[in-house]
Amino acid sequence: MPEWNLEIRRRLVGLNLRPEREAEIVEELSDHLQQCYEEARARGAEEDEAFRQVIAEIDWRGFAPELQVTERTPQSNAVPEGAATSGHFFEDLWKDVRFALRMLRKGPGFTAVAVLTLALGIGANTAVFTVVDSLILNPLPVEKISTLAALNTTEARRTAQSGDLQALSYLNLKEIRERTHAFRSLSGHSYPVAVTMTDKDQPRRIFAEIVTTNYFETLGIHPFLGRFFLPSEDAMPGAAPVAVLGYTAWQSRFGGTPDILGRTITLNETQFMIIGVAPKGFKGVYAVFGPDLWVPSMMAAEVLPAEQRNALSDRGLPLFTGIGRLAPGVTLAQARAEMNIVGAALQKEDPDANEGKILTVTPLIEAAYGPERQPVVFGGILLMTIVGFVLLIACSNVANLLLARASVRRQEIAVRMALGAGRRRLIRQLLTESVLLGLFSGVLGFVFGYGGCRFLESLRPAEYAQNLQDLRLDAGVFVFAFAVAILTGLLFGIVPALRSSRVSVSEVLKEETRSPGRVRSRVTLANTLLAGQVAVSLVLLVVAGLFLRSIEREYVIDPGFQTKHLALFMLYPGQAGYDRVRTGQFYKQVLDGIARIPGVASVSWASNLPLWGHKETGIAIEGQEARKKSEAISAVVDTVDLNYFSTMDIPLVMGRDFSENDRDVSTPVAIINETMAAKYWPNQDPLGKRLQLPRGKQLLQVVGVVKTANYQTLGEPPQPCVYIPLRQNYADSMILYIRSERDPSTVLAAVQGEIHSLDPGLPMEDIRTGTKVIDQALWWSKIGVGLLGAFGLLALGLASVGLYGIMAYSVNQRRREIGVRMALGANQGSVSLLVLGQGMTVVASGVAVGMALSLLLGRVLSRFLYGISGSDPLSLVGASLALLAVAFFACYLPARSASRVDPLVALREA
Amino acid sequence: MGAKVEEEWKKGSAELLVLSLLEDLPRHGYEIAKLIEIRSAGALHFHVASLYPLLYRLEKRGGIQGRWVEKPNQRRRRYYRLTTAGRRILALQRKKWLEFAGAVGQIAGVQHA
Repeated sequence: MPEWNLEIRRRLVGLNLRPEREAEIVEELSDHLQQCYEEARARGAEEDEAFRQVIAEIDWRGFAPELQVTERTPQSNAVPEGAATSGHFFEDLWKDVRFALRMLRKGPGFTAVAVLTLALGIGANTAVFTVVDSLILNPLPVEKISTLAALNTTEARRTAQSGDLQALSYLNLKEIRERTHAFRSLSGHSYPVAVTMTDKDQPRRIFAEIVTTNYFETLGIHPFLGRFFLPSEDAMPGAAPVAVLGYTAWQSRFGGTPDILGRTITLNETQFMIIGVAPKGFKGVYAVFGPDLWVPSMMAAEVLPAEQRNALSDRGLPLFTGIGRLAPGVTLAQARAEMNIVGAALQKEDPDANEGKILTVTPLIEAAYGPERQPVVFGGILLMTIVGFVLLIACSNVANLLLARASVRRQEIAVRMALGAGRRRLIRQLLTESVLLGLFSGVLGFVFGYGGCRFLESLRPAEYAQNLQDLRLDAGVFVFAFAVAILTGLLFGIVPALRSSRVSVSEVLKEETRSPGRVRSRVTLANTLLAGQVAVSLVLLVVAGLFLRSIEREYVIDPGFQTKHLALFMLYPGQAGYDRVRTGQFYKQVLDGIARIPGVASVSWASNLPLWGHKETGIAIEGQEARKKSEAISAVVDTVDLNYFSTMDIPLVMGRDFSENDRDVSTPVAIINETMAAKYWPNQDPLGKRLQLPRGKQLLQVVGVVKTANYQTLGEPPQPCVYIPLRQNYADSMILYIRSERDPSTVLAAVQGEIHSLDPGLPMEDIRTGTKVIDQALWWSKIGVGLLGAFGLLALGLASVGLYGIMAYSVNQRRREIGVRMALGANQGSVSLLVLGQGMTVVASGVAVGMALSLLLGRVLSRFLYGISGSDPLSLVGASLALLAVAFFACYLPARSASRVDPLVALREA
Repeated sequence: MGAKVEEEWKKGSAELLVLSLLEDLPRHGYEIAKLIEIRSAGALHFHVASLYPLLYRLEKRGGIQGRWVEKPNQRRRRYYRLTTAGRRILALQRKKWLEFAGAVGQIAGVQHA
């Protein structure tokens, strides 16, 4: 059979057909010719003759041009990937992706390092973004948070401390609700109240929030199970003992059983029926700390501590933070204006309770953190910035890796350009590769981020973990990680792509092997990137160092009371059904019993936990009433029993301690701290002066002055404090303070046994030691510093890996030069020095820049630091030295390998 | 009439010829060429280099559709069949051809058979 295929193929040359198409045409045409040939043979022609006849018959002139018209196919098919665009976006994309995958597979080491580096950066960003998203951007899973506002009161005249927001009394809230037009609906919620829940005879301390029945409806959330409150459940005090359980409490305390609805639980002494479960992720509108369950406002008396049981009828007793949903079209400013008018009317109508108080409207998202908002937001911004820089370092590392690789691929790229690939097309191809790298890293980074979030959650103090916001890794976070991954790919890919596509084809193709002369410009760019990395790492290390030093200082802060031999127990006898008399007896019995335990040095009661001071505003001072109406005096108020000051090691400066003689029937007395004395009785003897607490009717006589301690935060500015004796002031729950002779943990068990023997039904939670109190107070700072330190080290690690990579690469590129130097007599030491010197020059310039940046940043940070300045020399020098040491090591390894270059081998290679 | 002119004439009518032959049943390229030769009693002749570009062009325009068919004891062959669009093209070209032939006939004084 004649060879038709060759004949036909000859005519198809230059048409750039797809191989499959060409094969088809050849097959079809040769079959045709074969049939013609067989016909000629059948007519009797010899083989040669038949072949000639068939061929002669064909006029090939029009063939190629004709086919060219119909078979117009993309040019790129003739050229390997990365050639001119075919005009089919997705087809090209798919091709690019396949090619990119092939390239990535070909360099598994490069791919692994790049993906891991970027994933660390993306993971850090994802984790921090999750924190910021769940705590700051989107703290509450409520409907349209922008139209929700919190309503509080505050003192009209601003004094040093009166910026604090206070809750509204129930009657005021009701009044405002009837008058408002700006709010479509107005509800109220209390702070989380500690209550005793008894379930299967096991008493436990949980937190309940008292809410008006329209609370959930105002927030626009729907029950996970059952229902929320009905308006009828807010009609009569004590009539509707129902409760809505939080999702987490339902899961953890009731095992998430669906038959929870209709079940009764005992809160304090009252049976409540569970009617619903709140949606997952909703833990009240106070984003820091949420309740385990909610009860309607008419059940307030049943859950509140004794001194607040008249909350529904006392206009002066603040309990509810108002939560309002703005009516359609009403702005926050309009609502504020309306509340100013309503507030003024309330002052006029009921001056006793409302004098000097105005209403304040705050967007809910700001109110969600209360006073903690500023540090939380600041921390969020700082962390986001830092992980942003970590990611930048990762990006520049990978960019450097790509640049190094680009030299390996110069030939490949030049060949492609010679075959007709456009620059634009090449850049696109290279970017596809880097975006793909970014995406892989994104997936891994998301996993890292998820792990990071779980890790952060596990660091929460176990006692409160259930009441703290969960971190939500939701679609938003996923989109964020995805966007970061793609952006990252573009960011680190663009410069190398631009550079490597700018090759001179003829030159590169002429060069047969490596190109010593061309390294310089690439190394310059790489060096700039490196110096930048060093600078940024230094800044991060300095910031971490500053906060580390700051928290170190905080640990040695003298809080003004002893913590080393302190054990604490929270007890709620009032919630176990004790009446006033029995509670008083109980307090005494406990003191007597505990005092007998060996190892206990002294014991007392107090209403405040250390560093959880309860502040009251509106204290009146006899003889200074003038300021009573206009300027409210606020102070920490602590109800304490005998021996409190000696138990806590708070020295008495003047006067006397409380004694057995301070009883219900004797003169009401108080002890104040030095700050209070200096502020309100300057240059006077405070002893014998009298003051009145906002909740009390009687004037209290000052009998003693003690040294000022820390009441709310460690290292806080001194604030006034009033101590009142337990024996004159009833409280239905108190905290037992025990001072031990040795390690407080040695007495914990004996103390528990003693209390248990007095009443086995009494819940005892929050058993802690004094040092743990300090630990918990510093928990946020510790987490923050931990994160800063971790990210600083991550940055340092990434930067030093980058440094090592570039140094090793440049040594490798310069083997020949080094070989020549050594052949001409340079010794090993001088070669090492040469390489080291070059690397360390880059590092030193980075350190200089980083130092300058750190000093600038330190000024901004200084107000968040405790006890050190923003330019703390130890942090600056320490961080620089640490960085220089690591950098030195990263340069030393390549330098050493440079000194081991064998001149003979190097020269022969080149 | 020179060869060049004949080419032009052939080109103008080629599509009509191919489409007509495919009207009844699918055929492969050799068959089409052979039928044209036989039915025109050898007056019209297509060789591979002129027939196949034409087929491919028609296929690309959607007038015909080619399909590889394998039959026993035979190499696989590409059979072309007329598509719906092809039928429309055929009808249109027939009409044009009649009009054209009629007009030429009128002027040239050739009586239509």
